[in-house]
Amino acid sequence: MASPAKIAQQFARQLFSVSVIDGVVSAERVVGVLEFVEKHKVANPVMVLKAYHRLIAIELAKSIALVEHAGAINQTTLSAIEAAMSRKYGRAVKATAQANASLLAGMRVHVGDDIYESSVAGQLAALAASV
Amino acid sequence: MLSHLIILAQAAAPAAEASAQHAEAATGVTKIIQDFGISWPFFLAQVLNFCLVGFVLWKFAFKPVMATLDERQRKIAEGLKYAEDMKAKLEAVQQESVASSKRAQAEASKVIEEARKAAKEFLDKQSQEASVKAGEILAKAQQVIELEKKKMLAEARTEIAHLVVETTQRVLAKELSEADRNRYNESAARELTNV
Repeated sequence: MASPAKIAQQFARQLFSVSVIDGVVSAERVVGVLEFVEKHKVANPVMVLKAYHRLIAIELAKSIALVEHAGAINQTTLSAIEAAMSRKYGRAVKATAQANASLLAGMRVHVGDDIYESSVAGQLAALAASV
Repeated sequence: MLSHLIILAQAAAPAAEASAQHAEAATGVTKIIQDFGISWPFFLAQVLNFCLVGFVLWKFAFKPVMATLDERQRKIAEGLKYAEDMKAKLEAVQQESVASSKRAQAEASKVIEEARKAAKEFLDKQSQEASVKAGEILAKAQQVIELEKKKMLAEARTEIAHLVVETTQRVLAKELSEADRNRYNESAARELTNV
């Protein structure tokens, strides 16, 4: 027999699957899922909600491209990165800019767990690692 | 016994006279007998006495003396034979002793040679083992030294790289102008949009 944690994980995945429409997390669906959990008696509700929250956060992170940059970047550049990431992941990805002077120059893009970097600091780190 | 001899002498007397008469016929012999004054009865008595004395001497003197002499000679012969036997035995014992000594010496030489050979083999074996162990220890030491050298070089390389990177970062942070950053950002944006 499956453990309670495994059952909660499976149930959270089912809730997550109904929360996504066309690869995008729907706020209305999420509200509906939360109301369902609140109204109905669900086994281990805390474990289910934690797992559901983690899945939603991962999916939302895939829809956000955090662009770290050193120096100024314009909206055109952000739009171009958004378009490139949306094209790559097949979903709408929104770019968010965040200044990071330690990059020295260039940019680093986080999409979920994926990182794309083209910066002086990154090249120096790669150089240090290759020596 | 003496009486028997006298009787014999008396009986022999007429015979002696008859013979004397006959001898007279032979003048040569008779003359010699007369010249020497031989009287046949006395002569026969003396012969008898002589035989008697000879017998007594032979029986009671000569025979024991001869027996004693024979016994002594036999003892001497036995003694000589015993001495010769002893001499032969002594020689045999000496020869045996010499042979035994030679055998013991040969055996001792053999044992010494075997011990020397075993000691030499043991020494050679020990030398070879020591040589092999020394070689192994040397090889291990060289490996350790090589590893330490590589580790030290890697650490030094890493440290130098970090120092170079840190220095470069500091220099670039100070020296990069805003225009340089913008140009680099445009290049980075082109690179990132082509992923």
